[in-house]
Parts: sequence; C-alpha cells; structure tokens
Amino acid sequence: MPIDKIFKDDASEEKGERARMASFVGAMAISDLVKSTLGPKGMDKILQSTGRGHAVTVTNDGATILKSLHIDNPAAKVLVDISKVQDDEVGDGTTSVVVLAGELLREAEKLVASKIHPMTIIAGYRMASECARDALLKRVIDNKDNAEMFRSDLLKIAMTTLCSKILSQDKEHFAEMAVDAVFRLKGSTNLEAIQIIKKPGGTLRDSFLDEGFILDKKIGIGQPKRIENAKILVANTAMDTDKVKIYGARVRVDSMTKVAEIEGAEKEKMKDKVKKIIAHGINCFVNRQLIYNFPEELFADAGILAIEHADFEGIERLGLVTGGEIASTFDNPESVKLGHCKLIEEIMIGEDKLIHFSGCEMGQACSIVLRGASHHVLDEAERSLHDALCVLSQTVNDTRVLLGGGWPEMVMAKEVDELARKTAGKKSHAIEAFSRALVAIPTTIADNAGLDSAELVAQLRAEHHTEGCNAGIDVISGSVGDMEERGIYEAFKVKQAVLLSATEASEMILRVDEIITCAPRRREDRM
Amino acid sequence: MAAVAAPMASKPRGSKAESFVDNKRREDIRFANINSARAVSDAVRTSLGPKGMDKMISTANGEVIITNDGATILNKMEVLQPAAKMLVELSKSQDSAAGDGTTTVVVIAGALLKECQSLLTNGIHPTVISDSLHKACAKAIDILTAMAIPVELTDRDSLVKSASTSLNSKVVSQYSTLLAPLAVDAVLSVIDPEKPEIVDLRDIKIVKKLGGTVDDTHPVKGLVFDKKVSRAAGGPTRVENAKIAVIQFQISPPKTDIEQSIVVSDYTQMDRILKEERNYILGMIKKIKATGCNVLLIQKSILRDAVTDLSLHYLAKAKIMVIKDVERDEIEFVTKTLNCLPIANIEHFRAEKLGHADLVEEASLGDGKILKITGIKDMGRTTSVLVRGSNQLVLDEAERSLHDALCVVRCLVSKRFLIAGGGAPEIELSRQLGTWAKVLHGMEGYCVKSFAEALEVIPYTLAENAGLNPIAIVTELRNKHAQGEIHAGINVRKGQITNILEENVVQPLLVSTSAITLATECVRMILKIDDIVTVR
Repeated sequence: MPIDKIFKDDASEEKGERARMASFVGAMAISDLVKSTLGPKGMDKILQSTGRGHAVTVTNDGATILKSLHIDNPAAKVLVDISKVQDDEVGDGTTSVVVLAGELLREAEKLVASKIHPMTIIAGYRMASECARDALLKRVIDNKDNAEMFRSDLLKIAMTTLCSKILSQDKEHFAEMAVDAVFRLKGSTNLEAIQIIKKPGGTLRDSFLDEGFILDKKIGIGQPKRIENAKILVANTAMDTDKVKIYGARVRVDSMTKVAEIEGAEKEKMKDKVKKIIAHGINCFVNRQLIYNFPEELFADAGILAIEHADFEGIERLGLVTGGEIASTFDNPESVKLGHCKLIEEIMIGEDKLIHFSGCEMGQACSIVLRGASHHVLDEAERSLHDALCVLSQTVNDTRVLLGGGWPEMVMAKEVDELARKTAGKKSHAIEAFSRALVAIPTTIADNAGLDSAELVAQLRAEHHTEGCNAGIDVISGSVGDMEERGIYEAFKVKQAVLLSATEASEMILRVDEIITCAPRRREDRM
Repeated sequence: MAAVAAPMASKPRGSKAESFVDNKRREDIRFANINSARAVSDAVRTSLGPKGMDKMISTANGEVIITNDGATILNKMEVLQPAAKMLVELSKSQDSAAGDGTTTVVVIAGALLKECQSLLTNGIHPTVISDSLHKACAKAIDILTAMAIPVELTDRDSLVKSASTSLNSKVVSQYSTLLAPLAVDAVLSVIDPEKPEIVDLRDIKIVKKLGGTVDDTHPVKGLVFDKKVSRAAGGPTRVENAKIAVIQFQISPPKTDIEQSIVVSDYTQMDRILKEERNYILGMIKKIKATGCNVLLIQKSILRDAVTDLSLHYLAKAKIMVIKDVERDEIEFVTKTLNCLPIANIEHFRAEKLGHADLVEEASLGDGKILKITGIKDMGRTTSVLVRGSNQLVLDEAERSLHDALCVVRCLVSKRFLIAGGGAPEIELSRQLGTWAKVLHGMEGYCVKSFAEALEVIPYTLAENAGLNPIAIVTELRNKHAQGEIHAGINVRKGQITNILEENVVQPLLVSTSAITLATECVRMILKIDDIVTVR
C-alpha cells in the first residue's frame, strides 16, 4: 500500500457503495422506528431512560422520540435534525417528515441499485417536489376573509392534529380550548403567553382554559387572600438582608449591645426597603426570591399580598401578562412600571391551592389547566396540546388549509406521476419513485390502523383520477371517504414543510459517498 | 464500517412487500407490558375487601411497614418495568383523586388487561379496543350515576356509614365505630360555609403518639403538639387563660447577618459582655411580658438557637411557657387555629397579635408528653386528631386508614352521592353493559362485553378473599341482579348475598367512578404502546 496512513488510529473511512449503504440503512431504520406512531391509530412508545431514576415517558410525538434516541449513524442524525426543525418551525408533522424522507431514501436505494446516478435521482426529486408543491398550491382553501369559516377550519385542524394523540377521545373539548387560546393571542406566535399547568388527578375532560394567569404558589400568612384592582410589583430582589458583597467583610465590636445595634440596623434597613416597596402604591408584591418572616410580617401589616419564591419563569410571565416590569431597585417609584389586574384570588385545583390573576392588562394571556390520571398522561397531553397550539398559531398567520387523511399525498402523487410521463430521460424514474414515496404515507396510516392498505390505496388512487376529488382514508370507519364531509383538515404550512425538508434531507444523504469517522477524543486517564 | 453497521444489522432492512408488515416484535412488547402490569395487580389483589389480607413490606433501609392500603404497597414496591410503573402511578392518582379505592383501581386495571390480552390474541386492533373501552367507560359512569343515592351533609348517619365501609378493610376495622364518626366530624368541622364544595384536608392535623390503643384516639378541640414544653429552667407546664404568641424570631443573643466578632481585650470586658447579654435578653422578655403574653410558640430556626438556657431561665421566671421548634410549614395551620398573627420581630410584639385560649397544658401520655391547647377563643376552622396505637406499625396504619376515611368523607362533600358497596355496583355495571354490548355492532360489542366481564373481578375477588366460593357467589349475585335487586351485594360477614344497603355498606360515588375512569385510561395507554425505546 503506498498511502498507508492518512488518518489517525481508530479513525475509519467508508467509501462508495458501503458508505451509501450505511447511510441508507441508518435513515431507514430511524424512519421505521417512528413509522408506527403515524396517523390517528398510530401506537405509542415507551421511552425508558437509562439515566438515574429510570424515568419513563410514554409518547406518540415523533420529535420527542427522536430527540431522546441514542444515535451513532450520521445519516440517522440528519433525520433527527429535520424532525427537530419541523418541531420548531411548525410544531406538527414531525413523524411525517421522517417517514417521507425514509421512503424517499428507500426508493433511491432501488434506483441506485439499478445503476442510476445519485445526481440524476436528486435532479428528479427536485423537479418532483417543485411540481408537488405547485399541485398543493392549486388546491389550497383559504378562508381568511370569512371569520366564522376560518374558525371552523382551525377547529378542524386542531382536531386532526389531536386525533393522533392521547387527547383523541376529548378532541372536541381540547380543540375548542386550543382555538380559543390561539385567538386570544391575536396573531402573535408567542406561545409564552399561554401557560400550561399540569395537575394530576381528575380526568382529561376536567381540563379547562382559564382567562388570566395562574401561579402555583402560596400567599403569605396573615395577608389578604383576595384583592380587587391589584397593582402588582414584580421584583427580583433579596428579601432577607442586603448583604455587603465583599469577601471577608466582617464587623468587629467590643460589646454585645453593639452587636444588637448592628442587628437592629440590619432590621431597620430591611424595613426601609419594605417601606420603599410599599411606597410604590402597590397592593401585591411578587418576588422571585424568598421573603423572610420579618418582611412578610411587615407586608401583612400593610395589607399587601406578598408572594415569595415565584420561580423565574413565573416572574417573567407574570411581568409579561400584567404589563409590569421586573424591578430590583426601589429608589425611584416613578420609573418602575407596575402591573395591573382586576382580581387576585386563591383558587383550589384538586388538592392544591393556587393564586389566580384575572383581568390582566395583556388580554392575550391565558392558562390551560390540564388534569389527568398520571404524570405520563399529563406530560403527553401537554406535548400534544403544544403541537396543536403551534400549528394553530402558524395557521392564523398563514391561513391556507388543505384536506387531510392522505388526500394531499394522493394529489401530489398524481401530479408527480403526470410529470414523470412528460419527462424524458432517466430522471423520470426518479420522479416516479418520488410519487411512490408519497403514496407510502397513506399506506402507513392504513397499515397502522390495521386496515388493508393495498386495497385502500388502490381505491384512493382510482378516486383521485377524477378531477376535484376530495377522497382520503377515513381511518375511523376504515374506508375511503370524502375528507371535506368528515372535516379532516390540515395546515398548508405543515404539509409544505414536510415535503420540502424531507426532500432536502434525502438529497443530502444521497449525495454522500464517503463517511469518515474521526478518532474519538481520548480521555486522560488519571488513575 | 463494523462500528456503524453492527447496531443496524439487527434492525429490519425495510420491507420490500408493502402489504405485509411483520408485527411480531411489537406484539411481544405489548404482551410483556400487559403481563408485568398484571403481575403488579395480582400482587395487591389479596388485600381487597373487608377480609383482605395485609402485606408486610420491609424497605431497603430496614424499615417494616404493614399495610392494607394499595397505594402504600405499590409505592414501596419499587417496580422497574415501565408498564408496571404506570400501574403504580395509577394507584397514586386514585389516592389523590378520591383517597380510597387504591386497591380496587389496580385490580380493575389488571382484569381489563387480562381481557384485552385475549382480545388481542383474537386479532383485534389495539386502537379499536382502546376506543371501545372509552365508550364502555363513559356508559359505565352513566349507569353508576343513575344508581347513586343522593346524600345531604346533614345526614350524618350516611356519612358515618360510608366512612366505616372504608375503614372495615383495614387493620383498625374493629375501631370503625370510633374512627368513622371522628372522621366525619373532623371533615364537617373544617368546611367553610362560603365554599361548601371544597375541603382542604390540610386543615385537619393528625398527630400520632405511641402508647395506649387505637381506642384512645380522640379529636381535640384545639391544638395538639407532639412536643415537650421547654422546661430546662423549671417554667410552667400548665397555663390557664393563656395568651399565646407565635414568634418567628429568637430569644437569644443577637446575631447579625454580616460576619461579626466581638473583640475582648481584657478580663473586665468579659463580665461586661455577659451582663450585656443578660440585659439584652431581659429587655426582650420584658417587652413580651408587657403584652400579657404567657405562652410562646417559637418557630424553628436554622440560623441560631431559638432559645438559650439563659433566656429559658428568664422566661421561666416571668412565668411564660415556651414551646420551641415549631416547623415553618406548621405556622400557617397554627396561626389559623389560634386566630393570631405570627410575629417576626420583637418591635412588633403587640397584644392584638396574640391568640387566646382557656388552657394550655402538658399532658403525659404513655411514656411521652404532648402539649394541648384547648378552649381557643375564635378558633379557626381546623381540627386536630390525636391518634394512639400500641406500636409504631399499628399507629402508622391507623393514620393511613384515618386518612382514607377522611378522603371518603371529602369525596362526599364534593360530590354528594352514595353508592352501594360489596360488589353491587360492579356486578350491576357488568350486567347492564353486557346487555348494552348486545345492541352494539361489530368489534365494539365484543370489546364492551369483555369490559363487562372484567368488572366481575371485584365481587369475585371480594368473595375469594373472604374464603367463600367465588363462582357460586358471583353467579348468585348475577342472578339476584338479573331479577332487579340492584342493591344486592356480597355480605362478607354473613358469607351470603343480601341487600347491601341494609347492611350499611356504602361508599361515595366518586370513588367508584374515578376508579373506573382512571383504570380505563391507564389500560388504554398501555394498549397503545408498541415499543420500548431506551434513551439517554
């Protein structure tokens, strides 16, 4: 061998066929793993952590599953990444995107085996994805101008998203909740203002949407439990003592009285601070840090409601929704922006007492209280609801919607097939393959539901031959039906993102012809 | 190459033929899950019902617990299998939702899983089963609600009856005549007339004290502390017409937050410092005495000693009783009960912040002492219960049982319906759902029928645990129900079927409904799982 050593020890290199094979296999394995969660009858997975505590998560959310996997295969990592991006961008379709990319690669593998150059396949895929997107654009429904219709569209989208999740049985209830919450946001995609509180106990149906803000904290002893027209000061300040932050600072005294004096002075300082805070003309004080007994009593004396140890997120949200600013110095009352709300009161959910702020300045704020049998249920419910909220808030901005239930895939597949027929050259094989990959999605949905996928997809294809057809797979009844009648809708933005990012990811993996694994960094052995 | 390919080799390469999907592995996982969950349910099965047995659990740190409470058993079992863990969680949620029926819920879930297993082997899709279970569950709730008997809070007898049903299955069952009325009174006394729906069980304080028997358990109109009076310097142990202060500061030499040191340069200074310390404490005590306060409750402090020998001495001289180390979490309860305000600084020590009571005394119980505050003026809506028991195990179990009984009464307050016990509602559900299943179409009917059959597990287990012939009893019960006696149930004491309402075996509706909904929800979740993925 002339060139014996280019890489370090332990580094490895794979070339040509082998490299391509490795990445195909990795990507397909990942897509097969999440495949069974797709669709309204998809199954859940248990994620068992190998870390301490062996925590258990039960989920149906593709992004969550993929995020927590151990992955060694570089191509598989690409798929995990696109799923993550999909989650961040549109919130839903995280499984679809991985499944589609997996199918595209599966088809590509066959093409490569029949000696078609990867670049030709890529070119074909590109053309096909352009064409598929145009096909979708032609068929979008846009009810932007009709508020009532739009709301019902949103409801349907929410139900479609939720029906594959744990919330499927109460999907009407949750869809209403999600739509109401998103409408309160008035077009902003800032989901921060929607707070989700999880309280075990009760059933999922007991969950409710509450206008206002709920803080999971207690009111100090001896303070009013109910305040109307509250003026709230949100602060992050130490309410024990203002320590001199110089290392090693200490006082030297020569008598006990002087120690008492210093203690008195410290108390006095605290008292001053409380006085300054009270001087803001507030009747509710929320602090991120602990409020010690002494200031707590002072507040109680002044009839001010003081809430201690509200966590950081709580403080930020509270500041956001009440319109207040987080203060940490109190010398200039006029420069501090106070928060306002109509009513603060203590409410009880399940066994716990919570503090409820209603009539907040920022009308967008609302809280969703989730109830459910166990933590697993609640966590999964939160993830599902979050998906729905994401999709809805995206749809409010981009109001185009599509039908669901495998309809968009069939529409795209049909157009792509036509394109394949018109295209000359080897590319047409790739375009055809693209259409086959698209059809794999309704196939998987039907398979997961335990239906005869071959039969159903064939029926669907025949239905779609007629122009303007609304047929899709209705998993509940197990037959091909009119999606518009059944009210199964999806957001255009989700579908578009699925299509484009799946194509891009498969393109990227196809281009690979060499994998270089770097030598692992050696840990210093300090034995 | 090998490093990359090896982990992938075991995974499927992707099926070439789209019509056939090999589901072998998934089925295996589902069955493994179901089996382990059923194992958990079998473990607690024998503790169901009035003649159920107890379990002895010896924990990792050598502690021994004897209990009949499903939630406690499962909690201590430390299961590892994820599906089995879900059953443990299930029992916990029942505990927080209803407080009772923690064993029932797990047994129902186990029975449902068993039925599901046979449905799955028949090739029914899990989601179909899951959906049907949901429907059956909703229907079951309707049936239960229709069966329920409304109850008023003024009807103390019914409340006591339901509390004693819950207590009957516990170690302390022979004391149910004592504990049941106690639980009812305790809950009724803390109801706020403004919010009659909500009971906060934190307003009921249970104090355990070893010694005596469970018979000696009694409610205390006032406050009880399992603490001794600090008597180092011979202070009073009994104060009549007490004026009580709850303080959050310390009666000890001053300490600043900033680090401090007293520099002593010669011998005379030491005397002076000692004298100053004395004066300082004396000054504080004088201020306290000036308000007429004669009982001090001092919050525990981690920063410095709550009291010193010196201050105790002066307090004793001033005839002030001292109780130290009250936990910070307890302060709210204490101040609510005493109708006073906590005092955080000596400067704020004012007479209007004090609470008043007729008598504060230290009583000796067995080998220990407790402190009782009785005759509190304007007492808040709280109650204390002093639980006694001859050994620690009985004591702990008595506390858990009492907690269950309190929860039962709380359920009745929030949802004022009673339902018969003794397996009557379950067999009635089973009968009605069975008839309903016949009018349903397709797979659904089949699944609902299985749901109905699964519910028979409760009367079956009840009979089995009581040493009766389960098959004979359950068939007879079914027969009675078919003839329209919807309140016929298993009378475990007599070992036969009787009208269970006449036997005063009743339970809150909420316990039954939440057991069924929670069990169904959990089973549906387990059914939907097809893979266990190991993650970071």
